[in-house]
Amino acid sequence: MSRIVSIHSFRGGTGKSNTTANVAAILAAQGRRVGVVDTDILSPGIHVLFGLDQDAVGNSLNTYLWGQCTMPEAAYEVTPPGVGGGGRVWLVPSSVAPQDIARVMHDGYDVGRLGDGFRALVDALDLDVLILDTHPGLNEETLLAIAMSDALAIVLRPDHQDYEGTQVTVTVARKLAVPTMVLVVNKTPAVFDEDEVRERVEKAYECRVATVVPHSDELMALSSAGLFAVGFPDHPVTDRYRALAADLMS
Amino acid sequence: MTDQRTGTVLVVDDDPTNRLLLRRGLEREGLQVETAVDGVEALDRLAAPGIDLVLLDLLMPRLDGHEVLARMRADARLRHVPVIVVSGADDTAEAVRCIELGAEDFLPKPFDPVLLRARIGASLSRKWLRDVEQDYLQQVGLVLRAAGEVEAGTFEPTTLDAVAGRDDALGGLARTFQTMAREVRARERRLEQQVGALRIEIDQARTARQVAEITETDYFADLQRKAASLRGGGHIRTEGP
Repeated sequence: MSRIVSIHSFRGGTGKSNTTANVAAILAAQGRRVGVVDTDILSPGIHVLFGLDQDAVGNSLNTYLWGQCTMPEAAYEVTPPGVGGGGRVWLVPSSVAPQDIARVMHDGYDVGRLGDGFRALVDALDLDVLILDTHPGLNEETLLAIAMSDALAIVLRPDHQDYEGTQVTVTVARKLAVPTMVLVVNKTPAVFDEDEVRERVEKAYECRVATVVPHSDELMALSSAGLFAVGFPDHPVTDRYRALAADLMS
Repeated sequence: MTDQRTGTVLVVDDDPTNRLLLRRGLEREGLQVETAVDGVEALDRLAAPGIDLVLLDLLMPRLDGHEVLARMRADARLRHVPVIVVSGADDTAEAVRCIELGAEDFLPKPFDPVLLRARIGASLSRKWLRDVEQDYLQQVGLVLRAAGEVEAGTFEPTTLDAVAGRDDALGGLARTFQTMAREVRARERRLEQQVGALRIEIDQARTARQVAEITETDYFADLQRKAASLRGGGHIRTEGP
């Protein structure tokens, strides 16, 4: 039985796409067939983490939404090197072409097509899990993604600018009765006490914290070289992503 | 602080020949020498730091040796600068008077160079020991003051840099003190930062308004109705905007 998982944050800059990509890589390394859709149409970016060259991309989520292809036809295999055991990753990227982004902003699109596309993708690629990398905020496609999801991870930083929006997201997601909802406290300064962070965040939102991911310059430097969980499978931070992946699949 | 048995000697004598003889003799011993022609000039020079020992004649114009001794004794900064009186008056009563006025030693003229050398050496050694002791006590005072400042929360570790540079136990104590104070300060800052960042205060009214703007729409109501079916895997189209 396939699962749909959304990874969301109310504000940008929380490390949402990075979290999505690392969770996808971990699930693939565990032998799962993983699909990732970059539904952040207005500011796409996750393809970079998977090393997908947009110049080589013909179809994208945009061309699917405009009825020019099927969603499976817009999927590209991006299985990270070294992932074996039958695990694979496919990505449906959003176009980075300025005219495509401008067209989406100007004309909009039929959000309803998204849901059908997700299902078609799951069926065509026989996915174990489909991960939706959402656009910050709570627009219609994000609400649809959440409504379709079996599990939702909300990424936030331990920072005042993220607190209120996270509360909005948690409240809305509860109204959509998402079966599994967890928080990911990302970019946590290394000097913070993780248990303290977890306790305070859980208490404030009455929602379980799946993991607290520390932030450090070292981590940033290592991350820029590619998918962290692939490059550093034994690093404690990869263990945090692993815990999150397990949570989202349970 | 000068090294033991070296230092700067102020020769105070109104007789240029005596000044010259003393200067040559002392410089041969490796000492720095400055001179003054009478008591007034001597006190002027002593007003600035740097003199470790005074060789003082008694009979001089303007201000004699007795008066110089009396004024040095009355001055807290000069009280501990050793003075050896070198005088033509060779009587015990004069020697006693000078010692009572604060002179460390009394040497009659013409002086015996060997004896003078020995007495200068002994005086400088005592001065050196006293300087070391004074310096030590002053730095112990700094550490004690630092302890009070730590309690008051006003301690600045750099104020102990001079003491921490010592290679003895007091220096070790100061370094440990600085390290501990820095660690405590760093821990306090981390805690303050964490407490500040994790004060999760949410404006419930504003949040409720934002939630209402999102959820009180037909689109959302439709999604709510269909969510369960959507998760069930059915190909159910939602209504577009």
